[in-house]
Amino acid sequence: MATVDTASKSVRSRPLSPHLGVYKLTMTMAMSFAHRVTGVGLYIGTLLLAWWLIAVSMDAAAFAAVAWFLKSIIGRLILFGFSWALFHHALGGIRHFIWDAGHGLDDPQREWLAQATLVGGFVLTIVVWAIGYMVR
Amino acid sequence: MDNSQRTMRTSLGRVRLLGAARFGVGEAWAMRLTSLALLPLTIGFVWLLLSLLSKDYNGVREALGHPAPAIILLLFVLVGIHHMHSGMRSIILDYIHDRSKEWALVANLFFCVVLALACAYAVLRIGFV
Repeated sequence: MATVDTASKSVRSRPLSPHLGVYKLTMTMAMSFAHRVTGVGLYIGTLLLAWWLIAVSMDAAAFAAVAWFLKSIIGRLILFGFSWALFHHALGGIRHFIWDAGHGLDDPQREWLAQATLVGGFVLTIVVWAIGYMVR
Repeated sequence: MDNSQRTMRTSLGRVRLLGAARFGVGEAWAMRLTSLALLPLTIGFVWLLLSLLSKDYNGVREALGHPAPAIILLLFVLVGIHHMHSGMRSIILDYIHDRSKEWALVANLFFCVVLALACAYAVLRIGFV
């Protein structure tokens, strides 16, 4: 909080609204966290995209280095995580658009949307990786 | 609160700049617009990457040298980094409440600008060099 410069020293801390700890973990809440966590993952993962693009713009040796890393087990795991985060976050974004339009906020629908985000994220990831292994 | 005996500062002087910055709606709207744009751009980006999997260095470079893939990549990177800057900004504003908040906001901005320029430079260099 911004500190207010008051002459009097007797400023008491203001009451706070109840925070995360007092609530039971629900599906919609977990998907809200997952949206943020995948967003942060994509934020960091963009470094990998920048590295790859810069390598392509340089020469075959630089490209071979990034290709070697991406084809390693760790590289594949990171790419798998990045692609899952991308699809999960995109579906979460669609869910937010549905909410913005005023739909899907009531009890059964919002649970369906949360489950669809979770399942859809994994399904899309697996489908795209299956296509990737077929066309490579 | 009557401070008149202790300070010359007016009530207005004490509260000025502590209220709303008056660009919250713009940020929220930019988040929606970048989200909307990123849906087709993400499909294009994934499609593009899948099409590159079977190619070697020269093949990748040749493919990305064409206008449509380069423009899709540029848009994906620039709109995406704008979007992730806003997202990280809201996370910082939600969780950091002390002085380090300003430094985190500056670091977020610098990181995103450098990353956006690096990616854009690379895509353009692939096309023109």
